[in-house]
This record gives sequence, structure tokens and C-alpha cells, in this order.
Amino acid sequence: MKRLLVLLTVLALLLPLSLFAQGAKEATTVAELGPDGRFTTTRKITVEVFDRGVDDGRTPAENNVWTAWIKAEVLKKYNIDVTFVPVPRWTETDAINNLLAAGDAPDVCYTYSYPTVQQYAAMGGVTDLAPYVEQYKHLLPNLFNLLEEINVYNNLDPKTGTLWALEARQFYPHRNSVFVREDWLKKLGLAAPTTHAEFEAMLKAFKDNAQLLLGADASKMIPMSISVDIGWMGDPLTTSFVPEGLSDELLWALGYDDRRIMWPGYKDGIRLLNKWYNLGYIWKDFPLYPFGDQTYHDNLVRAGFVGAFMHNWDYPYRAGGIDIQTTLAQTGGSFIAVDPFPNDAGLYRKYLPSTTGDRKIFFPNTNKEPLASLLYLEWLSTLENRKYLQIGPVGVTHKVLDSGAIQIIPAAVPEWIQNSADNIDYTMVINGKDMGSAQLNGLSLGLGYSGVDPRYLEESYRIEQNDGRIVKNFTVGTLEAQVGLDNVLRDKRNDFLVRAVVAPTAQFDAVYDAGWNDYLATGGRAIIRERLARYEEIFGVKIQLPAGYVL
Amino acid sequence: MRRPTTALQARDTGSDRRKRFKLYMHKYWTLYALLALPITYFIIFKYIPMTYIQIAFKRYSIIQSPWKMPLANNHGWQYFIQAFRTPDFLRALRNTFMLNFLDLVMGFPAPIILALLLNELPFKGFKRVTQTVAYMPHFLSWIIISGLARQLFAPTSGLVNIVIQRLGGNPIPFLNKPVHWVATYVLLGVWQSMGWNTIIYLAAITAINPELYEAADIDGAGRLQKIWYVTLPSIKGTIIVLLILALGNILGGGFDRPYTLGNPLVRNVSEVIPTFVYSWGIKGLQFSLTTAVGLFQSVVGVFFLLGADFLAKRAGERGIV
Repeated sequence: MKRLLVLLTVLALLLPLSLFAQGAKEATTVAELGPDGRFTTTRKITVEVFDRGVDDGRTPAENNVWTAWIKAEVLKKYNIDVTFVPVPRWTETDAINNLLAAGDAPDVCYTYSYPTVQQYAAMGGVTDLAPYVEQYKHLLPNLFNLLEEINVYNNLDPKTGTLWALEARQFYPHRNSVFVREDWLKKLGLAAPTTHAEFEAMLKAFKDNAQLLLGADASKMIPMSISVDIGWMGDPLTTSFVPEGLSDELLWALGYDDRRIMWPGYKDGIRLLNKWYNLGYIWKDFPLYPFGDQTYHDNLVRAGFVGAFMHNWDYPYRAGGIDIQTTLAQTGGSFIAVDPFPNDAGLYRKYLPSTTGDRKIFFPNTNKEPLASLLYLEWLSTLENRKYLQIGPVGVTHKVLDSGAIQIIPAAVPEWIQNSADNIDYTMVINGKDMGSAQLNGLSLGLGYSGVDPRYLEESYRIEQNDGRIVKNFTVGTLEAQVGLDNVLRDKRNDFLVRAVVAPTAQFDAVYDAGWNDYLATGGRAIIRERLARYEEIFGVKIQLPAGYVL
Repeated sequence: MRRPTTALQARDTGSDRRKRFKLYMHKYWTLYALLALPITYFIIFKYIPMTYIQIAFKRYSIIQSPWKMPLANNHGWQYFIQAFRTPDFLRALRNTFMLNFLDLVMGFPAPIILALLLNELPFKGFKRVTQTVAYMPHFLSWIIISGLARQLFAPTSGLVNIVIQRLGGNPIPFLNKPVHWVATYVLLGVWQSMGWNTIIYLAAITAINPELYEAADIDGAGRLQKIWYVTLPSIKGTIIVLLILALGNILGGGFDRPYTLGNPLVRNVSEVIPTFVYSWGIKGLQFSLTTAVGLFQSVVGVFFLLGADFLAKRAGERGIV
């Protein structure tokens, strides 16, 4: 009896293993659409969605009223069963890398990092979209209409003809703004700063008047905050040190890093941050909080201890867990965008992304349903669908004003809270609200943020576009030098910029140069050289590096 | 046992052995059936994955089996050469040695001392409470500990530094200066693991024959003398086995502790081999390079383990191999 028991236990434990060995094989059938444009049998696809961890996780990014609506509609329209796979927003490249490496990536993926796509493509891990886009073009009118040929074919390799990713449409060219406490300016009788010196004087005034501005919390005063992602949160400042008049070609050749660390003049921007840090104007503890973790930083801002910071043009006005403006409003505080950093020509130059500067949509080679996945994108690109995702149902999340403008109203029911502004995490094909006509879009721009006075957004938008220059993109095919270095270089960049900012002023040059040389040696130099060489090869013109730019 | 072989026996040894084997198996087959489970586990999760070591010598492709991937340059040694030419790897190697060595020096004796102290406590209730409290930190993940560390040790907003400043001192850069960071790192490690590691020593101490202590009492030995002449020699075997295992791990070590405690200001001392493998291999997709690094790490670990084992045996102790 005892022996029988042993035998049964062993068999019971080993049995699941043999089942494992059997499973995981499922036949795939050829794509088949019925006369109504629906699949004759239900297709299953998985779709990535950014998870911003907002709302304390009460409304999961992959399962809420919006996803339920998408699932029902797509099933109705195409007989496609959609499952969402959450990917943490602020560590998205790491997370998508891990999923791809494990072979678990969703069928439809998007990322801000083209090198990530390229790396996997080089290993054969990404589906070549070129043949599918050609074959099914007639089924994808809305997709082509929204993205236009320039975004669809932006990544088409001129040599090999491969297409690893579609570029999502950046509807408005956005970058970062400088935000300062409007109420503090008023209390101190200061005007909005319009030069670097005035901005610095403002930071000093914040610091010196901590007692007046924060009372009992005076010791917590942070005139300006920043994060380990200095390239992003210092962007308006650093770009103001880029000399005026550089050519599109040069900016592109030195444009591998999206924080633009390779552009001329960058170091001088960091030098000024170093000065401010040593003067005690910048949050002292910022280096301890890891990349991608904005929580602690945002808590300080919401608590009202921070006088100024730089971030996405609408960052303080966003809802869904960020809620900076609405939280501060309870105690009479507010952030307003200012335009304090002129460049060497006296222009308030902003380098804005072209329409192709947004997310890249790709299918891993584990995707067995390319047609269903493309039809999903087609469905997303249809105006009425993406419009619904951006503004929700009338009367619940928006109302239509007499002018026709769409005004977002605070969600009556918490379920309708959008995890991201305009639900961009679901509308992966478009970033920026599009109501179907330019006139309507202009009228609705400032009305998209519930609980926030539209004038703040209109001001930030005006400033962001003031002296704006769209940076052109050039397609030269696969660039080999950057493969495998995306994350390594990004981490190196963050590390050495942080060290440079907190270095004693006398050591600034040594620290910055050591970090920059290490960055170049690890791959930065090879990347720039390859871009220069490839450009010359394709366009037959040599790009001249500016005088004094040492490679 | 070997039996003398005669011509007669030699003729039917084969069938004889088979018979004995059958009898033996008939008697003990349940033990072997149970053994099948751990063996299956080791084959599936330890030995089969080991065949993937060859990725270190091949050019990685996501769609090919490792058996079919093309051999890397330099007869497959390309990635080893590349690793030793990468300053980041050499730095990680140095830091791994340094941090693990400090961990060993500070962290290895600590639980022994704590176990001896606990053993000397006359009040059993107090001993039990202390023991439980001491091993609680073992159950905290490093994510949580690093969060606590930031709250406590941050230069301006950390509790400890706020207290120091209120008392008129200057803030101590626990987490943002390399030397201070290393000290914080090592001490947090001791704090986290010390209590848990006493368990095994306490168990060894419990097994000591009480008559030895009684004999020592009769001989007039004091407390310290009993610790020195009875307790420590009795648990020497345990200490040596654990030391050998610890030495085998000199190039190993966890990922989460340096990764979560590290920050850009101390990267020069906090980047270790596991974090290097993570950022270059998993995030940077250089699987061949980092498999090579991992293989190197294991081989060095095996050498240390064998070396320590050899020395222990030379010193007259039982080894583990």
C-alpha cells in the first residue's frame, strides 16, 4: 500500500511535465475575410498598452471601460479578439526588451525606441511589414490616411526594402516647457523671467524667501527640481545653448540620442545646471531616485515645495495620478509656463519633433496574425474610433460647446478616468488630440484637461511653439553601430550628467569630459561616424562637423 | 565487499549479479522512484540549460537554436576578448571582488558571534524573541530595504541626516559618496543576513554534548574559556563548510542588492558583474557577451571553491567535495 502511494505520488508529480512537452503547438490557419470584411473565424491578438500605474492601480491599464469598449467594437467589426498586455510606461524599453527576449511580447507592440526594434530585427525577431503593407493596403484606407506615406514608409530601408516599424503620427510637435510657480512670482512681485540671468535671479529669490513662501516648511524649499533624467528635465535649458543656424543634416547626424547630448553647446547647458546645483537652487537628493521613478519627485511638486521644473509641455496639467495643478489649486498654487532661455541669436528656439517623432509600432515575429494586427491599427486610425478614445462619450467625459469645441469634464464616474492624456496609450497610432478639423482642434486645445484653466495650456503651447523649429528626419537604412547600445548609452548618459551636475564647480570640466569621452568610446563615436558615412553614401554630400567639435 | 574469485564463481558472476540486483531493486525501488523527482528537476532545470553555455562562443540569434548559431570570431573566443577589453566589465569585476570580499570579512564572522552571544543568554524567552527579531530583516526584499535606506540616509531629506543636522553636525553622504556607500552597502548586508545565518550555527551548538561543558566546569573553566575551548572547536566543521561555500561565491552574489542601492553618483563602485550582465546583456541584447561573462564568473567560482576545499583538507578538516 505504501509503495503504491509512492508510485502514485511520483507519477502525479511527473505527469505535468509530459503535458508541458505536448502543449504549445497550435496550428495557424490562413487569413480569411468574409464578404462583410470580418474574419470567418475569431482571431486572437495581444496588444501592448503602457501602464502608468496611476490611480493607485484601481483602474488597471489592461482592463477598464476603455479596453472593454475596444474589445467589443473590434470583435464586432472584424471578429478579432483583443487582449491587452500592460507594459510599465517609464521603463518601457527595458520591459519590452525582456518580453521580446522571452518570446512573450504582444502581437502589436509600440515603443519610443527605434534602436530596440532594430536590435531585434537584426536578430530576426521582428516581422518585416513591407510585404503585408503592400498586400493589404486596400484594406487599410484610414491607416494610410492618418499616418500618410511619410510615416508608413519612414523606416523603409533604402537598400534592403525592409520595413520593421510604422511611425505613429505626432499630431502636434510637442517638446518640453519650463514651469514656474505663478503664485510665488506674484507674492515676490517678480515678472516672468525672459533670460537665463532673470531665471537664476528668480531661483535665488525663491531660496531667499523660503520663509515667506513656505512658512513652517521653509527648510523643504526646492527652488528648482530635476530628476536623474537630466536630459529630459533640463531640455529647454540645454537646447538654448545650441548655436543658431545648424543644418538639418548636422542635427540629424548628431541626433542619435533623443536628449540631444551630442549637439554642440550641450555641455554649457549642463555647466549652468552645475552652477545652480552648487548654489543650492536644485533639489539636493535627486541622484538617489532611480530613472523612471517620478513618484517621489512629483510628490514634492504636489506638496508645493518646488518653485520651478521643466517637463513635457502639459505635464503639470495632466490628470490620472500626476494632478499637479489640481492638487496645488486647493491651496491657491499654480504652475505656469515661461520662456526664459534665448539662444546665441536671441531667439527662443525650440527644436520640435517632426510628425514622425513619436512611437514606433512593430510586430514581433511571434505574431501569427499580421492581417488581424494591421486591421486593428486600421480600426484605431478610423476617426470616430480614435476620437471616442480621446474624448469619451458625450455627457460623461466631455461636452460640446456652442462653438463646437470639445470641453473635457471631470469624469462623473471614476471608471472613465483616462490613464493617459487623450488615452494616447490606447491610440497608439496618434499622439495629440484630433477632432477631425483644424478649426475644431484649435478651439478644443485648452479644454482637454479637466479642472485646469485652459489659459495655462494655451500659454504653454504658445511658448513651446515660439521660435519652434521642426527637426528633419533622414532615412538611411539600418545603422549598425547603435545596435545593442541603446540602454547602455542611455544609462551612461544619465550617470555622467548626474555626476557632472553635482560635481564641485572646479571639477566640472574634468567630470563632464571623462563621462563624455567614455560615452564616445563606448559607442557614441562610432554612431556619429556611421551616420556621417551613411549620409554621404546615400545623398552624396558630406556633412561638416562644426569647428571645435572633437570626435 | 570483494570476494575471492574462483573459476566456478567467475562463470556465473553475470547472472548472479543480475539476481542480486533484482533482489536489491525489489527491496528498494521506492527509494529510487522518489529519487527520480530531484534528478528530473536537476536534469531539466540545471543540466539541459547548461548546454546553452555555448552561446558564449557563438554569435547569438533569436530565431536559431544554440546548436545552429554560427561560431564567433577568434575560434569562438571573440566575446571573452571583448569583455576583457571593455572597461565597464573590468570595473564590474573589480567591484564584485571588492564588495564580496568585504561582505565576507564583515558578514561571515557576524552570525557566529551573534550565535555565541545568543547561546550564552540565560533567559530562554529573551533569547527566542531576540533571535526572531534578528532574522526578520531576512524576509525583506532589497527593494524595500533600499527604499528604507533612502528615507533614512538621503543627504537632506533622510531622517538620520536630519537628526545629525539638528544636533549641529554635517550630513553624512551615506549613499552619495563612494566610500560611504560601500560601508552602507556592507553594513546593510550584515544587518539583513546576520540573524538568519545564526540559525545554522545555533543548530550546531545545540548538538554539542553537554557533558563537555560539565567537564569544563569541573576543570574550572570560565565562560569565555568554555566558548573558546568547547563551543568553537565543536562547530569548527560547520564554520569551515560554510566558509568554503562562501568562497565559492566570491564572484557571484545577488543582483538586487547592488542594483537597488546603487545610483549614478556611486556607479563606479556599485556596478558589479550581475548588474553589468543585466544592463549589457538583457537590456542591451548582447547575450553572447554576457553569457561569456557569466561563464567566466562560474569558472572562477569553481576554482575558489576547489581551492578552499583543498586548503581545508590540508588543514585536516572535512571538505565538501
